[in-house]
Amino acid sequence: MDNKEKLKRILIETLNLDGVTPEQIKNDDPLFGDKFGLDSIDAVEIVFQVEQHFGVKIRDMKEGRPALQSINTLTAFIEARR
Amino acid sequence: MQIDFKHRLSAHCESGVSSNLLFHYGVDISEAMAFGIGAGLFFGYLPFIRINQLPLTTFRCEVGGILKGLTRKLGVKMHFEKFRNPQKAMAALDRSLESGTPVGCRTGAYWLPYFPSAYRFHFNMHNLVVYGKEGDDYLISDPVFPETQRCSQEDLVKSRFAQGALAPKGTMYYLTHVPKDIDLREPIYKGIQTVCRRMLKIPGPIIGVRGIRFLAGQVEKWPRKLGKRKASLYLGQLVRMQEELGTGGAGFRFMYAAFLQEAAGILNQNRLLDLSAKMTQAGDLWRSFAVIGARTCKDRATESDSSGAMADILRDCARKESEIYQELLAVVKMRRHGQ
Repeated sequence: MDNKEKLKRILIETLNLDGVTPEQIKNDDPLFGDKFGLDSIDAVEIVFQVEQHFGVKIRDMKEGRPALQSINTLTAFIEARR
Repeated sequence: MQIDFKHRLSAHCESGVSSNLLFHYGVDISEAMAFGIGAGLFFGYLPFIRINQLPLTTFRCEVGGILKGLTRKLGVKMHFEKFRNPQKAMAALDRSLESGTPVGCRTGAYWLPYFPSAYRFHFNMHNLVVYGKEGDDYLISDPVFPETQRCSQEDLVKSRFAQGALAPKGTMYYLTHVPKDIDLREPIYKGIQTVCRRMLKIPGPIIGVRGIRFLAGQVEKWPRKLGKRKASLYLGQLVRMQEELGTGGAGFRFMYAAFLQEAAGILNQNRLLDLSAKMTQAGDLWRSFAVIGARTCKDRATESDSSGAMADILRDCARKESEIYQELLAVVKMRRHGQ
């Protein structure tokens, strides 16, 4: 399983995205907003899960905001930091 | 008209604006250094101040305090002005821009059109720099965005005169004198001392490390006292205040750790490196608290994610931070005694 797939499964499981399958999350879908109903509070959980599963810390929103745009940007951030 | 202003991304608006304005005048200090010298780190649980009808918890000093503390300690002079009349406020802004002066403005973030909707809520303490005007659009260096932005006059007026708690009232400011040679050593010590005194010695239960302990007790009581829904709202507000609003993460604790690390090099004080590491640990504790808080208010809490667990983490934060500030005061004291 590649990092994008892994990330999608983690988000679905930890953010309780009921009824959403990994296939429904497009790599460039905005993570926050109407499609998945996620908001900035959920960003805290995503930051935590990224650290737990990939060992990559997102210290603040200065680096977090560009990284947390989509699966593509988050995966790129993780792979650049590992 | 456009002033040649270097836009630099930062974690927090006021320290970012402070650092960027100083950089414009040839003083190259990092955002963390601006935050540290400006004595930005703080804690206050202020239930009598309501933001969006929820109690305010602040992890930083008063609005404008970082910039004022920083400029005062560095010997920089600043003009600061509030307005009642929007026309006069915009005319004053235009005059400063025409004279080639970049202007800091305090704004209500909700009204800034370039804020993504997911991050938009009523927050009246957002700082940015206006560095030009083209037609009806103002050119904005908003330090929490990677690129410069544009904002129409109409939107900027709404934002500068946003209503509600801590309304910005058209506040604008700009630097009028910057000394040629600035030695950071004494301002760093003074900044550290101010933070430690505030965190350890302000009387009363709601400020500083005592305030963190007080909040721990409140968090523990909220579900019983307020009911599940309201307790979730209170927690959500707390998590937002801690992890968003450009706090640099963990309620500015990570940013302060970066400041201490930088200060260790400038002052040649290795002890500050250890204290920087400890502050990072305190930040990690705050973040653990935020994770449980976020889960609780999103109805995802597990059995171990209880209000008691959150309160325990906060008490750990208070204990750890208390140790750090006492050690920092000892470093400052040693300096005073020339050791």
